[in-house]
Amino acid sequence: MARLARTTVFTEKLTESKKLENDSLYEDIYALIEKIKEGDREAFMTLTSFYQKKVFLLAYSFFRNREDALDIVQETFLRLYQKITLFRRGENFQNWLLQIAKNLCIDLYRKDYGKNKELQSGTPVEEMNISSQDSPDPYASSDLKRIFSACIKKLAERQRMIFVMKHYNQLKYKEIAQILGISLGTVKSLHFKAVQNLRGLAAPYLGRQL
Amino acid sequence: MMNCKKIQKDLVAFLCGELPENEQEFFQTHLDGCPRCQAEWEELKKISEAAEVLREDAGEAMSSVDWEALPSQIAENVFKKGPQSRRQTWLAKVSGFLVQPRLRPVYAALLIGVVLGGLLTFMVFRAPQSGPIAEREFFAPQDFLENVELEMARRDTLDYLEKSQYLLLDFIQAPSEKLKDYWQSEFAAEQARDLLAKKRYINPQLDKFRLAKAKSICDQIEFLFYELTQISVQLSAEEVEKLQKIIEERQIILKINLLKKELEQHNEI
Repeated sequence: MARLARTTVFTEKLTESKKLENDSLYEDIYALIEKIKEGDREAFMTLTSFYQKKVFLLAYSFFRNREDALDIVQETFLRLYQKITLFRRGENFQNWLLQIAKNLCIDLYRKDYGKNKELQSGTPVEEMNISSQDSPDPYASSDLKRIFSACIKKLAERQRMIFVMKHYNQLKYKEIAQILGISLGTVKSLHFKAVQNLRGLAAPYLGRQL
Repeated sequence: MMNCKKIQKDLVAFLCGELPENEQEFFQTHLDGCPRCQAEWEELKKISEAAEVLREDAGEAMSSVDWEALPSQIAENVFKKGPQSRRQTWLAKVSGFLVQPRLRPVYAALLIGVVLGGLLTFMVFRAPQSGPIAEREFFAPQDFLENVELEMARRDTLDYLEKSQYLLLDFIQAPSEKLKDYWQSEFAAEQARDLLAKKRYINPQLDKFRLAKAKSICDQIEFLFYELTQISVQLSAEEVEKLQKIIEERQIILKINLLKKELEQHNEI
């Protein structure tokens, strides 16, 4: 009980911390990692509960599929446990974890989504005929979601990942560069291209809005 | 114009707050005074806002997940599969390391090395075998070899006969008094012993090449030398004379001369 109480206090402490840059939070995470290395199940659960939503958000935004996102979350933390000994003090843990999640997303994307072009892009944007649908307002929120979702799926792998990380995970260019292992300039350039491509893809359907 | 191009290129970064503070101020000033860039900015802003729609969608998906239970579910799987997965990881690491594409040149080099090494080893170990073959090829045919051996036997016999002849001539010509002294001297005894030994050496050769006539003469000489080596101990003056008679009667010296000539003239007798 005392242990559980300690963990709960710890979780609260972690949740209260708004910024990862906080030194004490870093120390707490390292302490958790050390415990996980020794096989501490509760420490693992604490760390999982703190980062699970971030991983889910990344995977869900990338695939637009709840089940795939949950699979990615499971697999990410499994990998985390297997590779925890490779984590070195001084590294940014969140970036390290999101790197694992990103790699798994790319693997799944290439394995399952890459097999079928139609699956990869969902319903092709070109085939969406909003005006012929029964909805009285073609620009209703649900349609906009559908269109924008399809447009994001049309983006190239890296542009899509960068767009998702920037707009949904709210990561800085610097962090994205670190996670993807590319330069800051490349991130900036790919993000610019992603936005421009989305604009081009969505323009015919969102003409009145854009 | 150049300014606008640069501004528009960085508009997305500006939109996401990724520009340094001093540049942000510059951008804002430019946008306020440039309708074209302002229009571009508005469009990009709409894309960014449209992207926010999906955030709601993600929020809905997240609310459907039991976040309280998920960590324990994951932990359940992780700690159940843990050791096995670690083993798999270890195996995967080893196999992954061995089959990585960047090691292909190393494998190719190893393969070439093994093939070349094998060839070199084969050649090196084969070399000594080729020696004897060359040697055998160098040797003459069997009949030639026999001729050489026969020639050697002939020469040995000639040598034997010549030396014997000298000794026997000494024996015949010397008076019996001096003869005894002579045969008692170490030199003569040694000569005779040498010739006896030589006879034993040429015997098989004479047999092998069917030199029957030569052998019979050589046998008689041998008998004489055998008697002569005993001279100081046992032979009396009469016996010496008897031996001298034997040599004369049997015309051993003459026979030796004839045989020598014959051997010198022919290869075979």
